[in-house]
Amino acid sequence: MNTKANQSGTTSMKASRRQFIRDLGVSAAAANFLLALPSLGWAASGSRKQRVVFVFSPNGVIPKHFWPENEGEHGELKRILAPLEPFKNQLLTLQGLDNRIKGDGDGHMRGIGCLLTGVELFPGDVQGGSDTPAGWSMGISIDQHLKNKLQADPSTRTRFGSLEFGVMVPDRADTWTRWSYAGPNQPVAPISDPYQMFNKLYGQKQNRAMLASVLDDLAEDFKKVESLVSPEDRHMLQQHVDMVRSIEVELQSEMQHAEKSDQAGHAVPELAPNVEIDNDNMPQLTRMQMELLVNSLASDFTRVATFQITNSVGNAKMRWLEIDEGHHSISHEPDSNEEAYEQLIQINTWYCEQIAYLAKRLAETPEPGGDGSMLDHTTVIWTNELGKGNSHTRNDIPFVMVGGGLGFQTGRAVKFNHAPHNRLLLSITEAMGHPEKSFGNPDFCGDGALTGLI
Amino acid sequence: MKSILLSWIGSVCLVTSLGVARGAETAESMRKRGEEIYRQACLDCHGENGEGVEDQYADPLVGDLTVGGLSELIAETMPEGDPEDCVGEDAEAVAHYVHYNFYSDAAQVRNRPPRVSLARLTGEQLRQSLADLYGHFEGDAWVEDKTGVEADYFDGSRWSKDKLKIERIDPVIDFDFGKESPGEGIGAEAFYVLWSGSLRVERSGRYELVLRSTLSCMLKFGARDRELVNNHVQSEGKEEFRRSIYLTAGRVYPFTLEFIQRKRKTEQPPARISLSWVPPGGVEEIIPNRNLVPTRMPSTFSLQTKLPPDDRSYGYERGTSINRQWDTSTTEAAVEFAETAITELYPRYRRHHRDEPDENRAKLRGFLEEIVATAFRGPLDEPTRKRYIDNQLELAEDDGEAIKRSLLISLKSPRFLYPSLDADRRASQRIANRLALFLFDSLPADEWLLKQIEQDKLVDESSVDQAARKMVRDYRCRAKLRSFLLNWFDLAEAEELSKDQELFPGFDAALVQDLHHSFDAFVDAVVWSEGSDFRQLLQADWTMTNKRLESFYGSSWAPADSNASDGNRSVVKRSVNDGDVHVGALTHPLLLSHLSYHRTSSPIHRGVFLTRYTLGRVLRPPNAAFTPLNPDLHPNLTTRQRVELQTGEVNCQVCHQKINSLGFALESFDATGRFRETEREQPIDASGSYVTRAGEQIEFRGARELGDFLASSEDCHRAFVESAFEHFVKQPIAAFGADVSDRLTQSFRENGFNIQELIVSIAKIAATPPTAPPST
Repeated sequence: MNTKANQSGTTSMKASRRQFIRDLGVSAAAANFLLALPSLGWAASGSRKQRVVFVFSPNGVIPKHFWPENEGEHGELKRILAPLEPFKNQLLTLQGLDNRIKGDGDGHMRGIGCLLTGVELFPGDVQGGSDTPAGWSMGISIDQHLKNKLQADPSTRTRFGSLEFGVMVPDRADTWTRWSYAGPNQPVAPISDPYQMFNKLYGQKQNRAMLASVLDDLAEDFKKVESLVSPEDRHMLQQHVDMVRSIEVELQSEMQHAEKSDQAGHAVPELAPNVEIDNDNMPQLTRMQMELLVNSLASDFTRVATFQITNSVGNAKMRWLEIDEGHHSISHEPDSNEEAYEQLIQINTWYCEQIAYLAKRLAETPEPGGDGSMLDHTTVIWTNELGKGNSHTRNDIPFVMVGGGLGFQTGRAVKFNHAPHNRLLLSITEAMGHPEKSFGNPDFCGDGALTGLI
Repeated sequence: MKSILLSWIGSVCLVTSLGVARGAETAESMRKRGEEIYRQACLDCHGENGEGVEDQYADPLVGDLTVGGLSELIAETMPEGDPEDCVGEDAEAVAHYVHYNFYSDAAQVRNRPPRVSLARLTGEQLRQSLADLYGHFEGDAWVEDKTGVEADYFDGSRWSKDKLKIERIDPVIDFDFGKESPGEGIGAEAFYVLWSGSLRVERSGRYELVLRSTLSCMLKFGARDRELVNNHVQSEGKEEFRRSIYLTAGRVYPFTLEFIQRKRKTEQPPARISLSWVPPGGVEEIIPNRNLVPTRMPSTFSLQTKLPPDDRSYGYERGTSINRQWDTSTTEAAVEFAETAITELYPRYRRHHRDEPDENRAKLRGFLEEIVATAFRGPLDEPTRKRYIDNQLELAEDDGEAIKRSLLISLKSPRFLYPSLDADRRASQRIANRLALFLFDSLPADEWLLKQIEQDKLVDESSVDQAARKMVRDYRCRAKLRSFLLNWFDLAEAEELSKDQELFPGFDAALVQDLHHSFDAFVDAVVWSEGSDFRQLLQADWTMTNKRLESFYGSSWAPADSNASDGNRSVVKRSVNDGDVHVGALTHPLLLSHLSYHRTSSPIHRGVFLTRYTLGRVLRPPNAAFTPLNPDLHPNLTTRQRVELQTGEVNCQVCHQKINSLGFALESFDATGRFRETEREQPIDASGSYVTRAGEQIEFRGARELGDFLASSEDCHRAFVESAFEHFVKQPIAAFGADVSDRLTQSFRENGFNIQELIVSIAKIAATPPTAPPST
């Protein structure tokens, strides 16, 4: 294969993708039009593709600038949620859900470790604060539970079943850095390096493309080395190079085929080169990971994902907001510290902007093989380990949903009265077509799934 | 070779009425008569040597019919038009002549003189080469005589210089401290233990490492920051960590294992930890002391990609097959290596070259230049650099992608995959390439060796000699030597051993694993002793043993130093001397139980093994398979009597006379290799005999006399030398000169049968031959 030709192939791939995204302007508008229609009753039809993405941010929020004042249809959103203004119609806020799990572990550990599992932590030796030490969760998390359910059914089975993204999750495995569990004592490590995630998603495809582009050079060199062997041995090299050439032909046709499918919206996303995993690159890393996430969902690699930004007690220094101190340190400040209070609003607003960006990317991508946009078929659930940072309360855990994946009635704020968050986990699995009697600690599931969501 | 021997299993030989039954002489005279007929009646159409005659019968006379089939064909069809002119014995005679002289595969090989032929890297060579390519940047392991693991015990739950209470070498990692302190001066509530050392691997294959720990623990394995188990968080119920990993023979994998008891408000679990493995084909056991080295060796790389098996039809692996499956595996291997280069080698390279300029991606170029030049076994010329490095960099803005591109094309290049494509290199380079290939199955990557090449030192013989000696002592060569010896004893691919549990209770998988340890330790003890005396392999009156082996095999398996017992069952030690029970590796139960049936010994398997492997003689494969006689139908017969009954026919005796009389000499050892004096209440008859190549008839009684004979037998010496040569060099010995076998055998005898010396000589002869001339 001619290397130059291949290069231009890559370029045209890029161009076609840009072209494609431009074209989306129209589709996105059309999608919004669709959204204005009252019926989102797709959940009823069994074949509708449903996706759910859980996004984590740490250290609680500033409730006063977060939660909508009133129940019912959204009025003007508070400062922190303001970035979601364009998606108000698809926004559902759930206040009054408490993480009631007790037992071993400090507030942060239970905050993250019980958030998606709804069950206690095992006794262990990781000690934080003044509470008892703990180990890993005693149960599976809702994302892995959904993965197992969806993978068991051929009609919802995907290549990965679930994907676990991270952004700046520290490179250590402990109760504060894991929220997804494949089962009791089986924490699932998120992938924080976008290049590593890229490899997992597209490594094979990329390797084949790379192979296709070096074979021509390689075959040429065979001719040069032929002179180094006796005529009797040449036939072996000849046989080898013939094979190289025939592989090249096959790969070429495979690449042409791939290009066609790229034009149909399954292009391999391009990552900016040489981005270090570094605090100051967190905004860029978040975008890169989100790009990979949206692409994975579009290609139906998975219908369930977690997206963990930092970790419980996460201490990102948001210098890009001109905040030099770490998030967790600031979160301990009393409300009376005005500077800290303001900074926490800004930090959480930044997190919300990331959710809004993800929603935007989903909204501007038409649902492959379906109606509307991908956001119509995806629910992004933004949540947090704590209700509020300085009190470490696990009451009023933030649950902010954007999108139509679960088929809940959106465009409104709902308030519960200290309902255990296990009931929401039940609602989620039910909405994904796999209702359960209990999830996590059954003591908190007596009242079943939440009512009034649909 | 293996497949041919396998066809013997469960069968004895049936000889057809043709030729051979009448003895070798008859066959020869038959061929002579056949030749006369051929010259008269066939030559005009088929040519002098069956090569064919234009306008008559142009195709050469080659094919795969048997002699019988061929004579039938001739009788029915030849000469064309008058088939009745050549029938019966005449046709048979012609068939014999044609078959032997040019028709058969064997004849074609015979007529084509052996030569050193081009070969690609075998699977093992690819693994080893990649490990050394990595090692080039990280440094190489040195040979360490001590065994065990370095252990530092601290008071308090973290590393602290002041709180280090115990420093020692632990033989293995297997501790149950319960709720007690692990040692003096250390609190039971909070302690920290750091084990560090290396795992020495003697055999390539997939291993499972099994770490069991009731406390927080971290296992880093293979490289400083390569986490294999991260159990920083102790969590109730999570106590077993299993990791499957492909490890490469002759490599030493550094590891650290941290074990932490943390003080806490809640109840503490008891402290228990063990580090075990399941070796390929084996059962789980605590990693034995002899595989642990109490030093942290440099980081190393072990390819995880599955590679297809190589051709072994000549008795040694050869890289001759070029196919898709192999090609795909080389792509996967290149990608896997590239990924490790991106995450481990390049960041370290950048750190080492921190202060150097990086214009125009100079560091990346420097890194790739070094790695590709090592892979290509010599410096890069301008076009090669451009093709393999510069062009690839141009196409990839991301450094990781650039490394991947460059390594993908480089590690798929003939310059890497064919180690002998070096006719244009300087002499020292060519010699080093061969020394590394023959002794390590790899490429020159060690700093000292590269220096020798750079200074063009290897042109003089004494430098080559020194280099070869240094390399023979290396772990990499030790592993290759071990694999050769396993081959020579036909144990390389020994299948799972199991015996009748009613007859032999206690002969279980754990015992078999101990037999493997015993065999390995015995061979090591012989080869790496000062004399490195080959004859000990056939004569030693001791073996290596442990408690389990002693209790199964009896008092001759007691340790020589009865105080040496340290309670650890897996540690093997030298046994007492007993010249009847221990006759080198010949009477090792691993070998003898392999050469046995489920319930009875098999003198035929043993005899075939001795004939083919130990004495290097050729046996025709049997022409038909026979089921061995059922011992239950002959309750009064010993094994020997039963075998004699079944192979007593005159036709069988042609081969079995040779086979049985060697195999019978080992009849004092039952199906598990346990010494016995009687069988079915009759005394064992272990008398046997052998006719040498030179035609001398030798008689012996029992394993001891057999071993003594073999140790002095020239047939046996030659078999060992030729087999070693071909295992190390992977080319036919005759290709290096008709007299090489004689010369090497001669010097082997003169050097006191020193095995290490033999390997040095082989490497020298094969590395400095009149090299294959570049083509014209």
